[in-house]
Amino acid sequence: MTEHDSPDDGVSEQPTDEDPVRTDETPVRTDGGETGIVPPDDETPTWSERKERRQGLARTTYEYFERSRREDQDLREESDYVERDVLGFPTWPHEVVRNLALTSFFVGMLVFLAAALPPHIGAPANSGVTPPTILPDWYLYWSFGLLKLGPLNPDLALLGDQKLMADRTFGVLANLVVVGAIAVVPFINKGSARRPVEQPFWAAVGVFGVILSVTLAALSIKNLLPLDSHLLFDLTFLLPFVGAFITYAALKSMREGYMFELNRRYYRLRPPK
Amino acid sequence: MSLERPDDHDHDAWMEKRDFSRVERMYLTVLIWFDKRLRIVDYLEILEGLYYKVNMQMPKSHTEQYGLDNKFWYWYPLYALGSFSTLAYIVAAISGALLGFYYSPGALGASGDPTIAYESLTFIMTDLNFGFMLRSIHRWAAQVMVAAVFLHMLRVYFTGAYKEPRELNWLLGIVLISLTLLFGYSGYLLPWDQLAFWAGQIGVEMSLSIPLIGEWVAQLIFGGFTPNPATLQRMYILHVFFLPFVVTTLIAVHIAIVWMQGIAEPH
Repeated sequence: MTEHDSPDDGVSEQPTDEDPVRTDETPVRTDGGETGIVPPDDETPTWSERKERRQGLARTTYEYFERSRREDQDLREESDYVERDVLGFPTWPHEVVRNLALTSFFVGMLVFLAAALPPHIGAPANSGVTPPTILPDWYLYWSFGLLKLGPLNPDLALLGDQKLMADRTFGVLANLVVVGAIAVVPFINKGSARRPVEQPFWAAVGVFGVILSVTLAALSIKNLLPLDSHLLFDLTFLLPFVGAFITYAALKSMREGYMFELNRRYYRLRPPK
Repeated sequence: MSLERPDDHDHDAWMEKRDFSRVERMYLTVLIWFDKRLRIVDYLEILEGLYYKVNMQMPKSHTEQYGLDNKFWYWYPLYALGSFSTLAYIVAAISGALLGFYYSPGALGASGDPTIAYESLTFIMTDLNFGFMLRSIHRWAAQVMVAAVFLHMLRVYFTGAYKEPRELNWLLGIVLISLTLLFGYSGYLLPWDQLAFWAGQIGVEMSLSIPLIGEWVAQLIFGGFTPNPATLQRMYILHVFFLPFVVTTLIAVHIAIVWMQGIAEPH
């Protein structure tokens, strides 16, 4: 604290009694380089100095910045990462040429599709004639199928077999439930496991979702499918469970061998101390 | 010796003293003119710093450290889906802007007679040079974008890439996929053919079935309780004005977060 003495800055004198943690050690430079913006006196205040000029929440913020910088520094010092001895691939030409090649290939594929399978247009809008099949685009079939879940809408004996909400309200609510379920996944499933074999349950949940979206899409076009509609409705909810159970069983039985391989490779590279 | 102090900031005198070529002198004159007014040196300095920072030496990545390159690159196509959806978005934006030169969203009446929107589409597809192809490209770019976004989400789920430090980006991705579907839906209504009209009917009924605020939502988004000219107008503004700004911004934030956090590699 005392090595950068600022003569006419009375405020920085007060909190010298603070920060007793690192006074005896070698001072670790926790402030990262320059900010890029040059203040008038050509001397960017460090975070310690800024901290000393602040009160309350702002001060707490700078204290936290110092701490996180120190954490980074410590982690960097104890890390045994091997630094690269060359810079990464230059952006030009290596990365740019590769990306341009991939991009042109992809755009070419789009143009080819567009030329080979051009879309056509139907009859103009007419509120008087209801077409035999009303369908959204294919990517909304799953949502459209969720609107047809009327038979699942619970009717309460208490209300004299009345339904709690209209069937279509139930369908819209089902959409919200699906989106909400997807949104909470990262807050439930944490940890460093990445491969499906490491977590058969979550892989099974994923397969359940994929198959459900496909069967819901099939349900939404039930009048086009040569299948009894009751059977289709049952299959819509049965098939996802079947798929999930098969996935779970398969991954569970694969898991032992996989984890053995994974651990062996890991410990060969980083033998336990 | 004059009493006037020598002016350190007299750039003209400095230029006279140095023996600059004509090109250099012109360049410096322009640069100094702008710098006196905008102080662009500061910004150039920041840019220079950024340049060196993006080329900074990075620590070895996880895949390099543990020799998992073969495992990683085998799955590489699945890791390109996010880029592919962005590319398809750009293609759709360019072709859509060109289509917008010729499309007009008017729907006179939905009672059997062709409407302005439908007629402008007929013009694009039959009379306009390259128009059929343009619409085809726009539509396929949209289809491919939606497909790539779905597959991207599956990839992220099955490789566990949504886990701990990346929850925010997962949520942002859910918002983006919903907006992509909304983009597709609003675009689907624009031709104002039979399919568009009745898809609009489904949309109106969906919003009407929301408890309490249903009618208000239907009025706001569809401009009525049945598909009508106002519906087409609103879908047009959503499709070409509102959604492009929002989605482009969110895609930029999404990619920026990926840049900051790095790719979640499998291990």
